[in-house]
Amino acid sequence: MNLDALIPDYVRRFQAYVPSKPDHLLMQEYGAPRLHRLNNNENALGPSPAAASVIAGFPPGQAAIYPSGDSYDLRIALGDRCGIAADRFLVGNGSCEVISSVIKAFCQPGDNIITADKTFAVYEWVAEFSGIEARLVPLRDYTFDPQGILDQIGPKTKVLFLCNPNNPTGSYWTRQTLIDFLEKVGGDKIVVVDEAYREYVEDPEYPDSIALMERFPNLVAFRTLSKMYALAGLRVGYLVGAEPVVAVVRRTSVAYSVNALAQQAALAALSDDTAHIAATRSLVREGRAFLCQVCSDLGLETIGGEGNYLMIRTPINDMLMYRRLMKRGMMVRTMTAFRFPGWIRVTYREMSVMVSFAEALAEEMRLMPMISGAT
Amino acid sequence: MYKQPITSKPGSVTARLPFSASFLPLAMELVAKGAGGFGYKDREASSLVLAMEELFSFYARQVAGDSVLEIILEDQGYRLALTLAFQMAHPDLRAFNLTWRVNPDNEESLEMLGPMLAARTVSSLRMDFGADELVVLRVTRDRDYAPARNVALPPPDLTQAIRLVAPSADDVRHFAAMTASSSATFMPKFLTRPGMAADMFAAGHLHALLANSGDWIIGGVLWRPLTDTCLELYGPYLFTNDPDDLVLTLLLDEAIGRIARSAYRGVLRRQGALARHERFFDFLGDLELQGVDGMTKHCVYYYRQLREDSGGVVYCNDPLAAFLHTQYERLCLPRQVRARVSDDAQLRDTSVLAIELEQARSLAIIRPLCAGKDMATNLAAHLELLRRNGISNFQVEINTGRGDDTAFAGPLADTGFVPRLLVPDAGLGDLVIYDHGARDGLS
Repeated sequence: MNLDALIPDYVRRFQAYVPSKPDHLLMQEYGAPRLHRLNNNENALGPSPAAASVIAGFPPGQAAIYPSGDSYDLRIALGDRCGIAADRFLVGNGSCEVISSVIKAFCQPGDNIITADKTFAVYEWVAEFSGIEARLVPLRDYTFDPQGILDQIGPKTKVLFLCNPNNPTGSYWTRQTLIDFLEKVGGDKIVVVDEAYREYVEDPEYPDSIALMERFPNLVAFRTLSKMYALAGLRVGYLVGAEPVVAVVRRTSVAYSVNALAQQAALAALSDDTAHIAATRSLVREGRAFLCQVCSDLGLETIGGEGNYLMIRTPINDMLMYRRLMKRGMMVRTMTAFRFPGWIRVTYREMSVMVSFAEALAEEMRLMPMISGAT
Repeated sequence: MYKQPITSKPGSVTARLPFSASFLPLAMELVAKGAGGFGYKDREASSLVLAMEELFSFYARQVAGDSVLEIILEDQGYRLALTLAFQMAHPDLRAFNLTWRVNPDNEESLEMLGPMLAARTVSSLRMDFGADELVVLRVTRDRDYAPARNVALPPPDLTQAIRLVAPSADDVRHFAAMTASSSATFMPKFLTRPGMAADMFAAGHLHALLANSGDWIIGGVLWRPLTDTCLELYGPYLFTNDPDDLVLTLLLDEAIGRIARSAYRGVLRRQGALARHERFFDFLGDLELQGVDGMTKHCVYYYRQLREDSGGVVYCNDPLAAFLHTQYERLCLPRQVRARVSDDAQLRDTSVLAIELEQARSLAIIRPLCAGKDMATNLAAHLELLRRNGISNFQVEINTGRGDDTAFAGPLADTGFVPRLLVPDAGLGDLVIYDHGARDGLS
């Protein structure tokens, strides 16, 4: 079989993402007696009590039954919560699935999408392996650059992806910045705002994108239950937009992709989120204050904003720092793939883990002269 | 026989011929006319014609009577690349050792060395072995380029804002001339020949990022593929004062950012020492190369991964195992080194080595293809032969993920080769580079 002849050029050029190995193997490979995950911006508190109860009590018999193919009850609940029609929601197997659905719905070869160069990579990846050009605009002061994006718009531009707050820098646009941008874009492009970390933002100037959709029907928001709601292992994300837009995206979405447990846990998580969000925000505030002080004491530059993560500039390259910290049981995220070489991103976790991480980082800093002298 | 369909593309000539002596004139004519058609001069074309003659003659004797030879002659802008591909139903792999049929004491027998003679006239020669007994010989001949002429360099204390720019081919040509004028140490050949750098850039075989200040180019960094998994980075070359490493940091961070989402797993830099390298690279080690001018060049190897490392297993024995343990510990690489259980009696009688020759650096890179009972003898014979042909530097590359490679560890030690450094993920597994301590005489 001449497999090569079957593969489109844009797929041949693309490299598959290789996820990290399971924890038990990583611990074995690195000789680490423990492994604290500070790499994926998960919520260390775990799911809310109601969601945890649903997960613990999931009847095994339901595993034999197909779930709702379009997450019916969950969409009703989301609609009630936001005061809009359930048909304006499209639930996916994590927000990565809805990213793919949007690109498939609006783009064909020759079209392009626009996003930032240093942001969540999946917008760029999905475009590239779908044969769609991804135009990348440099961040300005670690923030999405509205004018830079507007300057890149062309006749074949179909979708603009904004990450608000941005992963990994934590910067965000205020309501006014978003409105100004949407007015300049006009109505003939889809503007996607990925709000995966919206629940971490306490600034009242942070935009309510659903409220803006009346005025800007080309605006689409992505949200997830993986971060604040701590359901990353169940993979639930959703898209909300104007009804005609969502109807088009639904055509390119796979039904039945969200499993029954995920749908039920998501419903429960939304039902008792007030205390859970407050507790998580408190954990993040405490972690942020502590870790920023630690980095300041160690003379390490940081970039942080909203979200449950902090970027730290390391005195050695980030890949080596990753391996050194792994040996100490601390798994961080290297930022080379985010085009921030020399930086790591650390997720705020419970204080005991933050203290252990700070000790590991301080010990590595103490060893720096020896590493630096290895020439 | 070899029936993979030939795919032709612009800038290439392809043909399939019976692999027998009577078709040698046609094969030579194809290369001569093809090179001329692509605009190469007679002197450039004749190198490849001679290579074709030697390789065709040498290997046609080894193949079965009904063999087919596929020829691809490709104009890559800055060089001609000639690929010969054929299958051998029952290959006697000894034929691919450069030393086959050679008695080192008999000068006349050197005339049998078709591949070696061919290699003398070209820029590089490489053998690869694929599935289905496929043999691929790749020969390149660089276009002849004029050496760089002096161009003006910026004043050392420019204070205007710095901008990073994606250059044009003409920018790269000018930048190469500037590096030559700046008397930079460790210049790859393509920087000493600005036209070559520009043509490589235009062909997509070289990438670059420049830093500008006002109307001046004040520095730049370049990179190109070294292997399927590893890029080589050159520079940064800086033409103005950079006391706080501002330009250097801008260039390296941006260059690494640009390649971070590529197919490559790592970046290698092998030039002189880089001050405060640890911000960008891991230090791997150093090697000395004796230049064709007799001067010794000290190459410091730096590396950085582009992806998070999630481990691997290496099967080998001492002395390689001890070297790997030390390197893995020093570099914090998650690898398990397990003892290789092998029975030497099971080895085939003859080992096989592939050679890549870089005439410009007087360098032979030896790569094991098959382990065998005669590994030490075979290595020694290659060393002897290469020395007789004026090669000064010898390196052996061992893939840690390939048993036929790691089996060479003992024989390499026996013949005076020393493991010098390890390049993570640069081959099938990691790549261990050996060099030979005794350059001036046989050990």
